Amino acid sequence: MSAFLEYKEVIGEGDFVLAFIGRDNIKPIIVKKDDILNTRYGAFAHNSMIGEKYGSQITSLKGYGFIHLLHPTPELWTLSLPHRTQIVYTPDSSYIIQRLNITAGSRVIEAGTGSGSFTHSFARTLSKTGQLFTYEFHESRYQQAKAEFELHSLTNVIATCRDVCKKGFVIDGYESGCDADSIFLDLPSPWEAIAHLPQVISKSKRVGICCFSPCIEQVIKTAEALKNHGWSNIEMVEIAGRKWEARKEMIRDVSDVIGRLKDIKRRKEEGIEIRDKLQNQNQNQKVGEKRGNEDSNEKEQFVKKTRIEREEKGFNPFGKGLRIKEGDEAYNWKDISEPETEVKSHTSYLTFAFKNAPTKPIVNHQS
Amino acid sequence: MDLSLESAEKPVSFAKETGVITVGQYVLIKLPSKGLKIVETRSDGVINLGKFGSFEVNGILGFPFGQSFEISADKKVSPVKSLVFELEEEELENMDQETSRESTPILELMKNSSETNRDIIDIGSKIQGITSEEIELFKKQNNDNGEILISKIIESHKGFNKKTKYSQEKYITRKQQKFMKKFTVEYLSSSNLLKYYEEKDLSKILNLSEETLGLMLNLLDIRPGGKYFVVDETGGLILYAMMERMKGEGLIVVGHENEHPNFNLLQYSNYTESAINSMIKPINWLQFFEPENEKLIFNEQTKEAIEELRPQKKLQYYRRQKRIIEINKTIDFVTGKDSQFDGLLYCSTIYPTTLIPNIITKIKGSRPIVVYNQYKEILVELQHLLSKNLNVLAPSIMETRARPYQTIPGRIHPLMSMRGGGGYLLWGTRVYPKEGGVIAVGRGFVRRNERKKQKLEKEEDNDDNNKNN
Repeated sequence: MSAFLEYKEVIGEGDFVLAFIGRDNIKPIIVKKDDILNTRYGAFAHNSMIGEKYGSQITSLKGYGFIHLLHPTPELWTLSLPHRTQIVYTPDSSYIIQRLNITAGSRVIEAGTGSGSFTHSFARTLSKTGQLFTYEFHESRYQQAKAEFELHSLTNVIATCRDVCKKGFVIDGYESGCDADSIFLDLPSPWEAIAHLPQVISKSKRVGICCFSPCIEQVIKTAEALKNHGWSNIEMVEIAGRKWEARKEMIRDVSDVIGRLKDIKRRKEEGIEIRDKLQNQNQNQKVGEKRGNEDSNEKEQFVKKTRIEREEKGFNPFGKGLRIKEGDEAYNWKDISEPETEVKSHTSYLTFAFKNAPTKPIVNHQS
Repeated sequence: MDLSLESAEKPVSFAKETGVITVGQYVLIKLPSKGLKIVETRSDGVINLGKFGSFEVNGILGFPFGQSFEISADKKVSPVKSLVFELEEEELENMDQETSRESTPILELMKNSSETNRDIIDIGSKIQGITSEEIELFKKQNNDNGEILISKIIESHKGFNKKTKYSQEKYITRKQQKFMKKFTVEYLSSSNLLKYYEEKDLSKILNLSEETLGLMLNLLDIRPGGKYFVVDETGGLILYAMMERMKGEGLIVVGHENEHPNFNLLQYSNYTESAINSMIKPINWLQFFEPENEKLIFNEQTKEAIEELRPQKKLQYYRRQKRIIEINKTIDFVTGKDSQFDGLLYCSTIYPTTLIPNIITKIKGSRPIVVYNQYKEILVELQHLLSKNLNVLAPSIMETRARPYQTIPGRIHPLMSMRGGGGYLLWGTRVYPKEGGVIAVGRGFVRRNERKKQKLEKEEDNDDNNKNN
């Protein structure tokens, strides 16, 4: 049973778990009796996972530090998988699936397989009733991907090691075609593969294609090839995915700023007064050396007082010099959203096109 | 008590015809003007496309979706290659030479063009020698033939030869959009239904864009056979998209705020009423929050009494019985102690911070929580709230925007305008916090650990790990 095709509730031995250690640290594991998962938050016994529900929080062997045990989904897998190539991220893959109307039961061709990120997303959506044909020309990448799909029981995926640009898409057992209704080409030169598609696409349905290329020169060649091979509605789009985090920004009112400036000024003047007084005293002392201990006590008290005032920092409306926790109730805050420090400003260009099934003879409108 | 909500009888056939235009379904019509229309393909029916003419439904049946047609005078249609007459790149290049290719009147007129636009002088509408009254008359004389009319308009255009080829092409396309009696029939997918409302009334679908719809459905991890709790204020667009992905397997419980739910967009879905009823179970918020008061009581009659009823009344009795059992089952299923759902999708203008925490507990562990809103500010507030809620892991706000390009080789550039907005999503995962709390490891852990050895102080303890979550 594949965790990507069916839901499970309770974790058992041999189950696939994504250990959520932190936002940027999700570790895929297969639960095995007596195994230990070592993380920066401690060591976690696989034995303590068995019998727990997916979504549970568990503590380390030492009793502190925790992780969450998550059920695999293609979206979480995309965040945790070992990168062998540049991968297709969720904003792109989800748009492609929606625009090509891929649903349960769809038959899809993917070339190349790459790191298999999109493969998992396709497999989940087209489900057990659909079929995915994926092609990878790099031998060792193909081996790794194939092993991974087997480990994840993606039974609806047929992986083939093949350079589709040269040898096309026809495979054993599907000599009469894959009956594919959707095509995804993530290749250096998709225009070379487009010529091979008529043999494998559906003869009874409208077929959609998406070519995924980072360079505009590739888009030009792809669009030309699509047009020459009878594809229509050619349109290229670019997807911009952004992430935001809710934060709080302190409201620093100008009246408080003025209040603070006034306070500083007041204390400065007080300080000058005290200093002048002390200076006068010193001079007096020098004049009449024998004023005695009484005065020296008075002086100490002055010094002490100024020091205390300095430590209180006077009027401090924004907590300057203090460690303030974001959202501290003693201050005023505004809810804001913070963008990521670095965004993916370009993933690839997505060139879409469609081809109608020729079920009735199509006559030229001019004849 | 049987809490299973899945119908024993599966609808006969859930699969819709998505390949070929068939009778009795809703389809999307694309007009040369880029306008969209939803029509029903009634057998022997006639569909009126306004100034683009009328046609008989029977003429389009059996053709694959995506096919374009041209209307002739007698409401008959003939299939054509495309909606607007596109000029092939080679044709444009070879036009100066004498080619053996079949030439059309329009292509013939394009033989004279200018390298640049240097000779064009803007004299306004005087450049066109034919008046709109003359156009109307000409239309009548020529059986409303678009191509002949366009040729006439070009002939009468005094500056046409001074335009560049590209500019001539653009001019012809514009005239075709206005005068050609053509249309394309498209399968009414969820994306196409969305596009229709994009033009018609965007506020009805809460400004949702195709890319955000796609992202929300993927983040929700929709699988056939899954059980989802959904709040859909788009009138059923999201439900339709989910039904398409699930292909009849599974369950969608819909929380709504009225006495009866509003899914009027589902009428276009081509799913039968029984298919919709078998998958979609509504529950209103009063039933959700006060189940014991809201469960309906059915006065069961004796067999003899039922037999004595008139056939009409008998039918009514059984229908009422079925409805009440259904509602009570839904209430029991949703308000039961166990978490039941494989995901939450919330798309509503009801302030989410007040409602979402009450639904989260109904969702199973490690299942997605996806909240849509047109406005990021609403989701910012929700993220602040959920960051403190130990039932939700790693909530964050996402945005996706598709930027379309003019995709003509050699003249590729982003379109000068695109739709703004499209909404935002909050995505998190439902988790089960460890009972009794946990001690987090992070900055200051050793110092803190020494300071208060065994003391479990939930708030502070979760501090550091939460920063990572």
